[in-house]
Amino acid sequence: MVRSDLAGVPMKGEELLRFFDPKLCIFDLKATTKDDALRDIVSLIAPPNSGTHQVVLDMLHNREQLGSTGVVKGVAFPHGRSLAVSKLMAIFARSNRGVAFDSMDGEPTHLFFVLLAPPQDRANLYLPALGRLVETVQDDVLRDRLMKAASYEEFAAVFREG
Amino acid sequence: MNPQEQILVALQDLDLMIKEAKESQEQLEKLGFDVSGVEELRKARAQLTEQLDRNHLQHYERMAARYGRAVAPVTSDMCLGCFSRIPTSYRSSIYEGKVRMCESCGRILYFP
Repeated sequence: MVRSDLAGVPMKGEELLRFFDPKLCIFDLKATTKDDALRDIVSLIAPPNSGTHQVVLDMLHNREQLGSTGVVKGVAFPHGRSLAVSKLMAIFARSNRGVAFDSMDGEPTHLFFVLLAPPQDRANLYLPALGRLVETVQDDVLRDRLMKAASYEEFAAVFREG
Repeated sequence: MNPQEQILVALQDLDLMIKEAKESQEQLEKLGFDVSGVEELRKARAQLTEQLDRNHLQHYERMAARYGRAVAPVTSDMCLGCFSRIPTSYRSSIYEGKVRMCESCGRILYFP
């Protein structure tokens, strides 16, 4: 099933990489709880004491109330739209220890793909991007490579080749 | 961002999430996401509105009913809701702690 084809336009891995920034990829997330993980991840885009940080964090917490974005096989996709975000952006974080993230299978979460979009996503890239992320990590081999990636280049190669 | 402005932005984000949870439910569920907690979001909305000044809440609801989105960002001294110029004085300390509205369209302004 081509899950990235949600809006009628399939998204390629290379295209998805446009939304990632090497500076917004961390390979050793220290947090072990959901609250701390989300806070640490949002800190990558806005200082912890800023209004933007709080607004984005509130939005992600609300999204978790709608239903946990921690799915199965150690992966979570916190996502949502906020006025505090000016363009579609993706953040990657990996926890080697694992985070208690209320995942659907009850297992610790290791891979976090955070997708943030502005309310006015006219190109309608948000859902296709989310679909492409989900599609990629469903593959056991690619997911294993993401678990072992030691740099942004190794991370990006998974999406280019996947 | 002053506290009331922050709550208004969070309220708009939440309203959009509630709307999309219904409109995109099928797509999100196909991706394997649980979007069953809309009632929880409504409770969160009620808690958020309790923190808002009554006049700000009423204005928010009026603007949301009229435009869909009540809060518009300001970029290059322009309201991105109606593309009208915003007085440069809006950025001065005189307005610190105050919620500012677009003089042209009435939308609540968010200064990123």
